[in-house]
Amino acid sequence: MNDKLVGQPLVRKEDPRLLRGDGRYLDDLGRGALAAAFVRSPVAHARITGIDVDEALDVEGLVAIYTHEDLPGRIAEPLPLLIPHPDLTHPRTPYCLANGEVNHVGEAVVMVVATDRYLAEDVAERIRVTYEDLPPVVGIDQARAGERLVHEDAPGNVAARSVQTNGKGEAHEAIASAPHRLALDLHIERSASMPMEGKGVLAHWDADDRTLRVHSSTQTSTSVRLAVAAKLELPPDRVEVITPDVGGGFGVKIVHPWPEEILVPWAAMTLGRDVKWVEDRREHFTSSAHERAQQQHVEVGFDEAGRLLGLSVEIWHDNGAYVPYGIIVPIVTSTQLLGPYKVGAYRVEFTSLYTNTVIVTPYRGAGRPQGVFAMERTMDAIAEYLGMDRLAVREANLIQPEEMPYDQGLVFQDGRPLIYDSGDYPTMLRMIRDLVGWDGFEAERAAAAAEGRRIGIGIGAYVEGTGMGPYEGAHVKVETTGEVVVSTGLTTQGQGHYTSLAQIAADVLGVGVGDVTVITGDTRRFKYAVGTFASRAIVTSGNAVAIAAAKVAEKAKRIAAAALGDGVAPEDLELVDGRVRRRADPATAIDLRTVAVLSNPLRYAFDEETKAATQFAAATATGEEPGLEATGYYMPERSTYAAGAHGVVVETDPETADIRILRYCVVHDCGVVVNPRIVEGQVHGGVAQGIGGALYERIVYDDAGQLVNASYMDFLIPFATEVPHIQTAHMVTASGLNPLGLKGAGEAGVIPTSAVVASAIEDAEGLAVRRMPISPSELYELRKARQARKEQVSA
Amino acid sequence: MDFLRPATWAEALTARAERPDAVPIAGGTDVMVELNFDRRRPGALLDLNRIPALRQWTRDPDGTIRLGASVPYARIIDELRTDLPGLAMASRTVGSPQIRNRGGVGGNLGAASPAGDTHPVLVATDAVIEVESAERGVRAIPATEFYLGVKRNAMAADELIKAVLLAPAKGPQQFSKIGTRNAMVIAVCSFAVALDVAARKVGAGIGSAAPTPRRPFEAELFAADALPWDSRADLDPRIATRFGELVAAAAAPIDDVRGTAAYRRHALSVMGRRTLTWAWREHQSSQSCQSSKELT
Repeated sequence: MNDKLVGQPLVRKEDPRLLRGDGRYLDDLGRGALAAAFVRSPVAHARITGIDVDEALDVEGLVAIYTHEDLPGRIAEPLPLLIPHPDLTHPRTPYCLANGEVNHVGEAVVMVVATDRYLAEDVAERIRVTYEDLPPVVGIDQARAGERLVHEDAPGNVAARSVQTNGKGEAHEAIASAPHRLALDLHIERSASMPMEGKGVLAHWDADDRTLRVHSSTQTSTSVRLAVAAKLELPPDRVEVITPDVGGGFGVKIVHPWPEEILVPWAAMTLGRDVKWVEDRREHFTSSAHERAQQQHVEVGFDEAGRLLGLSVEIWHDNGAYVPYGIIVPIVTSTQLLGPYKVGAYRVEFTSLYTNTVIVTPYRGAGRPQGVFAMERTMDAIAEYLGMDRLAVREANLIQPEEMPYDQGLVFQDGRPLIYDSGDYPTMLRMIRDLVGWDGFEAERAAAAAEGRRIGIGIGAYVEGTGMGPYEGAHVKVETTGEVVVSTGLTTQGQGHYTSLAQIAADVLGVGVGDVTVITGDTRRFKYAVGTFASRAIVTSGNAVAIAAAKVAEKAKRIAAAALGDGVAPEDLELVDGRVRRRADPATAIDLRTVAVLSNPLRYAFDEETKAATQFAAATATGEEPGLEATGYYMPERSTYAAGAHGVVVETDPETADIRILRYCVVHDCGVVVNPRIVEGQVHGGVAQGIGGALYERIVYDDAGQLVNASYMDFLIPFATEVPHIQTAHMVTASGLNPLGLKGAGEAGVIPTSAVVASAIEDAEGLAVRRMPISPSELYELRKARQARKEQVSA
Repeated sequence: MDFLRPATWAEALTARAERPDAVPIAGGTDVMVELNFDRRRPGALLDLNRIPALRQWTRDPDGTIRLGASVPYARIIDELRTDLPGLAMASRTVGSPQIRNRGGVGGNLGAASPAGDTHPVLVATDAVIEVESAERGVRAIPATEFYLGVKRNAMAADELIKAVLLAPAKGPQQFSKIGTRNAMVIAVCSFAVALDVAARKVGAGIGSAAPTPRRPFEAELFAADALPWDSRADLDPRIATRFGELVAAAAAPIDDVRGTAAYRRHALSVMGRRTLTWAWREHQSSQSCQSSKELT
């Protein structure tokens, strides 16, 4: 038997192609297509009083101008509410093109189609839209005040209000009767995922065949297909959606259908010409999606050991102007907040609020960074209050391995109970303690202080629900050349699926990774899928590939047994090194590719290989469907819970308040690891993004609702100069929920970063950090405020 | 939009005079951003990249360095770090290697953004900007008179920047910049200091903390007076601190997305203190090198 490929740190198969520049991204396609551009709202909140296109009409190359009035049928209706929820009492979704009112800067008002993008933008510039300003609602404070309304029929700007309790008593009573109590007010600012490639759509309408082919830079081609079919009132079988190479998604591309995903195909059908739209960076800032912004009020009651007896959290979540993706983000925050800890009575209430800003949808971590921030800030506050070691407080609250599976008593974002399937959190915390050098840190701090340097250490942990349903599927086929083709409906945007899924299939079929080709995100090849988001792909699709490949292996054994004759039974056989052979007598074997030939009994021969499968030559297994192929699905019963702990050492400049990360450590448990190199890369990327979120990146709106830093000059993505060396250690607590024992890993790195960096800055500075991200300027202001308080006290 | 590509300096001056709606472009560091963001839609771009003289630097008989407006930052760093250490240090903080290969001081001056990285050095070292028009010929504008406001400078509509005249360093020079990230970032604020050892003078320049780069004259005079020029003794920290305070007092910063006015003022005081201390230490070590040479 060859060595198992699952578990090996193979180099990614797809990289040579991508590194050579041979990738095919959306904008590489559709040469000769007409180009679309949009007139977008320059104001945050207004009624549209007029659209004047007169000056635009004589631009040579103009093909069409569309406003809301031009849109027929379902295209003129608001976009769908993708994830309805009973607590989402006032859902509002946008129109493809604004219908009389705009609710954020960047909202699409007019669509222009021209022979190229330059001309389309020239036309867009000549279109005069007049607005009657309405008062904008910007920021959570203004939304909560409810004096101004984003949507007149959504009182108090409230889209949803939701309460969950964990069934372990009344939280406020538990807090009131606890020996000690604390309250914290916390803030997380807006950020955005910023994939290198923005969104983009290309549509081709074949009028004779009545078939629509759409290319979209999406995280879910199958669902875009159904959405487009529904909106354009086409039978789904007449719509194909293909996802080419995608330059990053990070959540923003799971939202669908974007207005452009409906408008561009509709324009292609209407005009009978190919139409393409590629989002530019400014459009990405002002018209795609953001995340993170929350205010939180935490009340906690605890005992002398720091154990949480009662925890009440109120969350005010900024959901932007519309809620097409429902209230997934605050649900995730309120349920994953508990992390690896068991609390007594827990009550969480969130209010999801409209503001006149870009919509808010999941961004890598999807509400977890905010929840972990709340919980870990609380842990540090308790330690400070009790004068306890911060790690000891956490240890006192950990769920123990023997308590698994552990029911948190809540309903998770997939509508299923929040039950941790496996995990060893005490070991995890011990490992991070060693890795980050927790025990020796006081000596390190003293040594630094002797040099006039100020350093601090922070730590934090999280649990992440991954691999949620409803399902993923795969089709596995062995070609007569011996090549194995694995088609999965989910998309890929850099996760390395061409390698990791190939490893899984190759192990089952006894072939090499090089023999396996993985196809993703093409509804012509596989129609049923959910998408690549929520750290679910390897769990759901990986198991589906294993299931489908196992069916193929069984079929190969049956066909091979018939071909080998001589009383060989299928169960005597194994698949090794591209052959099907007898376990007891490996010399009795048949090539897998020959089995593939035999699997398709032929009347006609075309070459030497097919000759072997013709009626007068072959001894074929009877009762088999043709083709050495099978389809398999994996439908998880519920999510599987990955976990991790991070530790960081920071240095703060006593004068300039510059914040530098000296050491970043990660302990990571995502169950059985398919490819450690890919997982490590995911963790590194996540930490880099998390450091961006902690120290650099933020979306800033002014009072008028203008996005003031909508460019990479002031929205600061961390470079190599900001990302420290990351030390990682892995542990494996296999999931019992799926055959391969996998848990997801895609979001892990980003989840606790803001929490641990805040913890370390607090430790270095000896002041409370209650708001992230934090810049040197803000740290300076915190120091000044503390100084002012001290002076007040002494005066 | 027209794209004008004069082949000679004379042609460029003519084109400039004929097309007041043209925006000169060399490296494009600032111009391309403005065009890309649609902040400006000029009638024409006047491309200066075919004029070799702008990409050269020469030394006048009196030693003054005549730096062509388009000499890229990368070459300033490589070729002029001994003569113009302050300018070389500031150049190192500009953008990325790609941008330093294209951009030059002329662009910084033309754009006259308060955050331009080389401005503090130019005002601190009394640089002179040489501009020229077809009609009136050459005019020399001292750096301290060049900047008039946010993105406004003293040039007439028909003038182009030809060169910047800089004296070789007369003592240690230092530059410091605070950014919101470690690289490729617009300054929150910046500061330059230059010692003229023979004349016992101190020049200084503040960047990104007022509508224009400015010189903290009071701080300069204080330091010139307080530095222990004769004894070459260690710098009394109180002098450096006072210098920093006077630097901060000369600034007129604003609150914006990159930082608060209070932080900028504070950071300037730190940079003033640190750069003066570094410059003085450098002065001490160069003095001691000289004296040890004399001994042997």
